[in-house]
Amino acid sequence: MAAPEVFTIAQVPLTAHAFNADRSKLITSLNTNEAQIYGRQGNEWKPEVTLSEHDKLITSIDWAPNSNRIVTASQDRNAYVWSQTTGADGNSVWKPTLVLLRINRAATYVRWSPKEDKFAVASGARAIAVCSFDADNDWWVSRLLKKPIRSTVLSVDWHPNNVLLAAGTADMKARVFSAYIKDVDSRPSPSVWGEKLPFNTICGEYASPAGGWVHSVAFSPSGDVLAFASHDSTISIVYPGGPAVITVRNSTLPYVSLTWTSEDALVAAGHDCQPVLFSGSAEGWKAIGSLDDAKSGAPLTPVSTGSSSGGRFASAGVGRLGTNEAFARFRNADTLGKSSATPGSPVSGGDSSGDTELMTVHQNTITSVRPYEISANGNVAKVSTSGVDGKLVIWNVSVPAGTGGLSSRLGGMHLR
Amino acid sequence: MSANFRKIDIDQYDEDTLLETELYDLDPRDPATVLADSKQKQSAVRSALAKGDIGSALVTVLDGAPYGPNVEEAKALTLQTLLLILNSTKSTDVPALLRALPAEAHDTLMKYLYKGMAMPGTGEVSGSVLLSWHEKLTEVAGTGCIVRVMTDRRTV
Repeated sequence: MAAPEVFTIAQVPLTAHAFNADRSKLITSLNTNEAQIYGRQGNEWKPEVTLSEHDKLITSIDWAPNSNRIVTASQDRNAYVWSQTTGADGNSVWKPTLVLLRINRAATYVRWSPKEDKFAVASGARAIAVCSFDADNDWWVSRLLKKPIRSTVLSVDWHPNNVLLAAGTADMKARVFSAYIKDVDSRPSPSVWGEKLPFNTICGEYASPAGGWVHSVAFSPSGDVLAFASHDSTISIVYPGGPAVITVRNSTLPYVSLTWTSEDALVAAGHDCQPVLFSGSAEGWKAIGSLDDAKSGAPLTPVSTGSSSGGRFASAGVGRLGTNEAFARFRNADTLGKSSATPGSPVSGGDSSGDTELMTVHQNTITSVRPYEISANGNVAKVSTSGVDGKLVIWNVSVPAGTGGLSSRLGGMHLR
Repeated sequence: MSANFRKIDIDQYDEDTLLETELYDLDPRDPATVLADSKQKQSAVRSALAKGDIGSALVTVLDGAPYGPNVEEAKALTLQTLLLILNSTKSTDVPALLRALPAEAHDTLMKYLYKGMAMPGTGEVSGSVLLSWHEKLTEVAGTGCIVRVMTDRRTV
């Protein structure tokens, strides 16, 4: 298995990231009110253009692959659609178009619809703005999905039919809405989510199992299954035909982002700092393993001197703590009564690197996981993650071979 | 300048405020039934303990544990019952017992461990017993179990 591609974009958090259609450009925001476009040169990402129009922190970015338009959402309650045009001097420039969101709280999340004729902006105003282009006035107008949302909307995801929209909110619910707009959409064919779908129809409402905010929602490639990750360290997979909700209680810290890689597999990532592959069907779901394998990542990360000699995942019994060098040091000091500090190098000061480094590639929470490369059979072959540690990583969606090692990696996980 | 304005409950002026009761589904049973259930479970646990069957005693007390408002008496009784089990288990038996429990029971047990730790020195609560169970439970169910205790509004 090839090692993941690791790029250190900055020393500050990457709040969101998106790629253009051919993956030659990257847009991300370095935890500021500006978005930065990078171009790929060999093994590096070079800054090219800065998009600055927002007043406050940019919370989410999406890049429409076919129409090549970027949409950014920010805490300043605005969203801008950026399109590339030729400027007066002959160079291409990114021109912003303001969107009339009509929300009175921060915009938290934005995603283009599959046909790229609409986008949805989640917000703290207990509403989702579904935006479409008004050609007469040359601006983007929005219609608000409000009921029955009771709190901040943290994420949205579009159904492949361009009409249904899933949303995860801080009122501990994941919901499926109809975002049908008469002038834009053709009548959708009936699906497992319903037949008649006027705007703001609620097609499903699902609570997180132990009262956690729903951080992330995602439709499966067919759109017939919904998955969501919540702050109670669970992921739930909804089969609306069932009606069955399958819950996987994880032994690690919560996931904040997830994406499907095929009809029976998804990758989730978050506070545990490593992307984890899940697989299953209507009969049940389980964690397969981490994409972050000790062997493939070895040259990039500090070599363990602590107690965990197996793969990173083997020590996942206590979640992220088990992968932390500092934790291992204190645990050794506690249980064995010995300090791992060698004579001559005081515990504090001295070697500042290494001591607090995690054994994962990402050194802090992963903020977003997105599909990167689609293979010939339609499955996602690679995913990209961006993190609070300023890293962007492109992962192969496969748990390292060697089925013998699989069970040992899963040894510490609690599954059901 | 007076700081009293900070103590005004501003939510009462907001018609659209999010109420505590909207955050979780209430227990469908009425308080009297819950209390009767808890009493019945206590006697079931006592007889299981007398037979030395700690595993089934744990399952009994953790299944359908009382939560939500108006069931304080049942909650106290269930904690008492659970402490009875915790205090009478040999520490070497704990890991095997925990591994046999379903995942929901892990979460519920962790809630009670934290509830017990929040009230030291009262009755049967023993800090060292709770801590040793907590350690073993974290080894089995991970930090995710602790996160679920923190997020869950259905407090026991």
